[in-house]
Amino acid sequence: MSAPVAEVEGLTKSFGGVPAVDHLSFALHGGEIAGFLGPNGAGKSTTLRLLLGLAAPTSGTARVFGRRYADLDEPTRSVGAVLEFADFHPNRTGRNHVRVLALSSGIDEHRVAEVLELVDLSAVADRKVGGYSLGMRQRLGLATALLGDPKLLILDEPINGLDPAGVHWLRAFLRRFADGGGAVLVSSHVLAEVEQSVDRVLIINQGRLLADQSMTEIARDGGSLEQTYLAITQAVAL
Amino acid sequence: MIRQLRSETAKVTTTTTIVGLLAALAGLVVLAIVVHTYALPDERLAAGDGQRELLTDIGISLGGLFAALIGALSITAEFRTGTIRPTVLATPRRARVIAAKALVSAGTGALAVIVSVVTASVAAQVTLSIRGLASTPTAGDYVELLAGGAIAGGLLGVIGLAVGAIIRAQVPTFVALFIWLLFIENVLVELPDAHRFVPGALAQGITGLNREGVLQDVWPAALLLCVYAAGALLVSVDATRRRDIA
Repeated sequence: MSAPVAEVEGLTKSFGGVPAVDHLSFALHGGEIAGFLGPNGAGKSTTLRLLLGLAAPTSGTARVFGRRYADLDEPTRSVGAVLEFADFHPNRTGRNHVRVLALSSGIDEHRVAEVLELVDLSAVADRKVGGYSLGMRQRLGLATALLGDPKLLILDEPINGLDPAGVHWLRAFLRRFADGGGAVLVSSHVLAEVEQSVDRVLIINQGRLLADQSMTEIARDGGSLEQTYLAITQAVAL
Repeated sequence: MIRQLRSETAKVTTTTTIVGLLAALAGLVVLAIVVHTYALPDERLAAGDGQRELLTDIGISLGGLFAALIGALSITAEFRTGTIRPTVLATPRRARVIAAKALVSAGTGALAVIVSVVTASVAAQVTLSIRGLASTPTAGDYVELLAGGAIAGGLLGVIGLAVGAIIRAQVPTFVALFIWLLFIENVLVELPDAHRFVPGALAQGITGLNREGVLQDVWPAALLLCVYAAGALLVSVDATRRRDIA
C-alpha cells in the first residue's frame, strides 16, 4: 500500500489536564473517503486542527504527506481544508475572499475564477459574503479549499446548510476527487449522507478511536451505519 | 514574504473598514480643531508655537490613536471573523503572517497620521481665518509634522498590531489601547521625566514638538519608538507561534 496521505500516531491533546484527544492513531490513503464520526465533544474538530497545525499536540504526531502541516512548502497545493462555514469577513466579496488566499499561496487570478465556477458561485462572487446563505458559504469554503488543486481534503461538517442538490453535488464531487487519487477526511453528524459518501468510517468518543471500519465491513455485518454508530458510542457511554 | 504582503494589502483594500475609519478620524479632527480654535484665546493661538502645538496635539495624537487601532484591527478582525484559520492554513509559518501585517500596518498607520495632520491643517486654516487670525506654522513645520507624523504613525500601527496579536480579542485590545493612549499617558503628563518616554509623547517628539514632558530630540525619540515597536512585535510573533488557534 502507498504511503499514507495523512497519519496520526498516539495523538493526544489535553486542555487543563483533561484529554480532548487521547492516544489517537489512524492513517488515510489516497483514493479514500473517510468519515470521521463521533458525538459532540468527541474530539473530532480538535483532531482536525491538530492535523492542520492550528493546535500543537500534547504528545504524539500528526502528519500530512509525511510531514507536519507547518513544514509543508506549499500547503494549499497539498491540503485543502474547511473547518468552519463562517470563516469569512462579512464585508468582503466572495471573489475577494478567495483572492486574498490565492495571493498568499502564489495562485493566479485565473484559478480564483475557476474554483468559483466549480462550486457554482460565479454569479454571486462579487456580492459581499455577509449576504450569502449558509449553503453558499459552505460552497465558498470549498472553493478556497480547492484553490491549490490539493490531494487531500479535510472537511468539518461540510453538509450543514447545503440543500439536497448541493448535497448531491458534494457527494459526486468527493467521489470524483477520490477516484482521481485524492483522499478525503470528512466529519459529519449526518449519518445517512455519510453512509452514501464514504468508503470507511473512523468513530471516536472522548478522544479515543472506537472503530475503524470500511463500509463494506459494516454492510457485511448486516447493520446500517446508524445502528453501528449508536451501538459503539452507546456502549462506551454505558 | 512578497505573497503574504500582497495578500495582506488586498485584505485592507477589499473592505470599506479603513476608508470608514479614516473618514471618522477626519471628522473627529475637524470637530476638535473647530472647538479648540473657537475656545482658545487669541493670544494663545497667535503665539509662535500655539498653532503648531494645536496641530500636534490633535493631528498627531488622534492620528496616532487611529494608527494603533487600525494596526490592531488587522489581526483582531481575523480572530473575530475566523479568517485567521484560512490565513494560517495558507501560511502556516505564522511569523510571516505577522511580519506582512506589520509592514501593512506601518503603511496604514502612516496614512492615518497624514490624513489627520492634513485635515487638522486645512481645518485650522479655515477656522483661524474666520477668527481673523493669521496662520503661523511655516512650511518647515508642516514638513516636520507630516514626515515625523508618518514615521510615528507607522510605528504606532506596528505597536497596535502587536497588542492585537497578543490579546487577540477585539474589544479588550481596543480598550487596552484607549486606556494606555488616552488615560495613562495623560496621567503621566504630571510626571514629565517619565512621560517623555511613553509612545504617545515619543510620537510628538518625532514631529519636533518643543514642550516639557516630550523628548525634544527627534532621532532618539524615533529610535526609542522603534525599539518599543520591535520589542512588541517580537513578543507578538512568539505568542502567535506558540498559541493554538481555535
